Amino acid sequence: MASSELRSTVGTATPGGIGNGTGAGGADLGVPALPVRPSGGGAGMGRPAIEVEDLGIRYNLRLTRRTTIKNSLPGWFGRDDGTPKHFWALRHLSFRLEHGESLAIIGPNGAGKSTLLLSLAGILQPSEGEIKTYGQVSTLLTLGAGFELELSGRDNIDLAAAFLGISHREMAGLAPSIIEFADIGPFIDAPVKTYSTGMKARLGFAIATAITPDILLLDEVLGTGDQTFRARSRGRIQELVTQAKAIVLVTHDLTYVTEFCNRAILIERGQIISEGQPETIVDLYRQRVEERKLLAEAEGQRFAKVPGAR
Amino acid sequence: MTAPTSEALASPRLSSTRAGLVARTVQGFREILLRQRLIRYLVGADLKRTHADTAFGQLWWIFDPLLQMAVYVVLVEVIFKRNIPDYPLFLFAAILPWKWFSTTLSDATVSVTNRQSLIRQIQFPKVVLPTASVTAGTVSFLIGLIALGIVYLFFINRLTPWVLLIPVIAAVQFVFTLAMGIWLAAVNAFYRDVQNVLRHVLRLWFYLSPALYSLHDLEKGSPFRKILELNPFAPLFDSYRAVIWGVMGPLGTKVQTHPGAPNWIGLGAVLIFSFILLALAIALFKRVEPAFARIL
Repeated sequence: MASSELRSTVGTATPGGIGNGTGAGGADLGVPALPVRPSGGGAGMGRPAIEVEDLGIRYNLRLTRRTTIKNSLPGWFGRDDGTPKHFWALRHLSFRLEHGESLAIIGPNGAGKSTLLLSLAGILQPSEGEIKTYGQVSTLLTLGAGFELELSGRDNIDLAAAFLGISHREMAGLAPSIIEFADIGPFIDAPVKTYSTGMKARLGFAIATAITPDILLLDEVLGTGDQTFRARSRGRIQELVTQAKAIVLVTHDLTYVTEFCNRAILIERGQIISEGQPETIVDLYRQRVEERKLLAEAEGQRFAKVPGAR
Repeated sequence: MTAPTSEALASPRLSSTRAGLVARTVQGFREILLRQRLIRYLVGADLKRTHADTAFGQLWWIFDPLLQMAVYVVLVEVIFKRNIPDYPLFLFAAILPWKWFSTTLSDATVSVTNRQSLIRQIQFPKVVLPTASVTAGTVSFLIGLIALGIVYLFFINRLTPWVLLIPVIAAVQFVFTLAMGIWLAAVNAFYRDVQNVLRHVLRLWFYLSPALYSLHDLEKGSPFRKILELNPFAPLFDSYRAVIWGVMGPLGTKVQTHPGAPNWIGLGAVLIFSFILLALAIALFKRVEPAFARIL
């Protein structure tokens, strides 16, 4: 309910009310701009939690981190140095997630898994296509990144709530359990700069997991703190998983996929390779990794032969 | 409902179908108004952060302009032998608001880039960041007014009820600073050159503003004076000085009066200009906001 207005509005939007992206780029697909929505991911037609249609996320390579005017001068003067201007981290992605489902997204590094998660969270906006989420979405963020070091732990809880758009009253209700879970005792009223790394991580985790979202987005698995805290944090995530209406999990740990999820998607180079039962997809992924390894070895051998032949 | 408020997600192709100029401006203003609690917390954090690791802490807000004034008094009175009555007060009426403007603008410019890790993790209206920086600067300006009180101890005969108009002049300056801050924060996200160039631009701007001198020192109708009159800080400094120090007579007459009314016409013009600038700055900011998470 809190969250940003953007999401809550999207939540009430009638499916099909928003035109789909049949602009340049994806025009050849010929998706009709009609209120008839083709079901995205297969599976039955239960209550939707997430609908992704023809999603594309494009990064502008000219304007990446720490650009300076010097770097972009050639572009302004029309001199093309031949480097590509754009990079599609995701392209033509469509799937559908229903209530009660938990979806794993697997794939090699750089496949676009994290980009997908960021766009589901509303942090990255689609360059193409659309995403609809029904309900409050929450990511378990890389913890504690937003801490203000001069503020006390308690003030940081308030600040985090304000960033997330949670009302003051709601946060006041959650604060005691956050403080208890973080287990930092009297330090809660000391500036965060006096905290140890473990304390910061615990507080960050406690804040990030305080709200129970409808749609839970999990990136990797959060191994923070010492043994006891790790056990407790696992317990807390289990709790969130059981309470959330739908889950999207991005991970390299394939045991999680088969253990937690009832559906999986394999992504490579920004595109869906396959979708289905976790076991099947994990097998496929393993197989492809294996193939790639063999291929790389073969390449390596061929390469190694060259100097020998001389 | 194809809610216009959810432009962000409702417009699937952000580069081609974007909200219009007016819609973006309205949305930006709404975000500032709706996220006041967040702005307040950010302001609090900002205030705690500045000077937190110095021995005198927040007292620097008072010392800093006083020391700066001392430097210029030595420079102008002793070295250049200019003779303006009660010069320290004359100077201070400009130094204090300038200090507010320059530090605030520098803070606002880096407000978005400094929060890059957060921007990549939480979806929130980014326009609150420069807004909070500018607001925090305003609080330090208000504290800096204590320094003005200290200067007045030595020139008590110039203290009149006109000083009560300082907040009115400051309000005009606030709108102008906010507009500049939002605009520069957006541009700096793409080109970090801005934060480097800004320091030097600000210094030049200060000397091209009637801070150390008065516009009346310049020949009427000279091209230099005409250019200076286009500077928003000409009417601003003029007004601060009128209510704090007094009104300078024409060149050569040596007539100088006690404090009086600010330059109302000039202030009105700056205010209108600033609001237009603010609307455009917010529109630009909203236009490029979706790109922040990609490029930071």
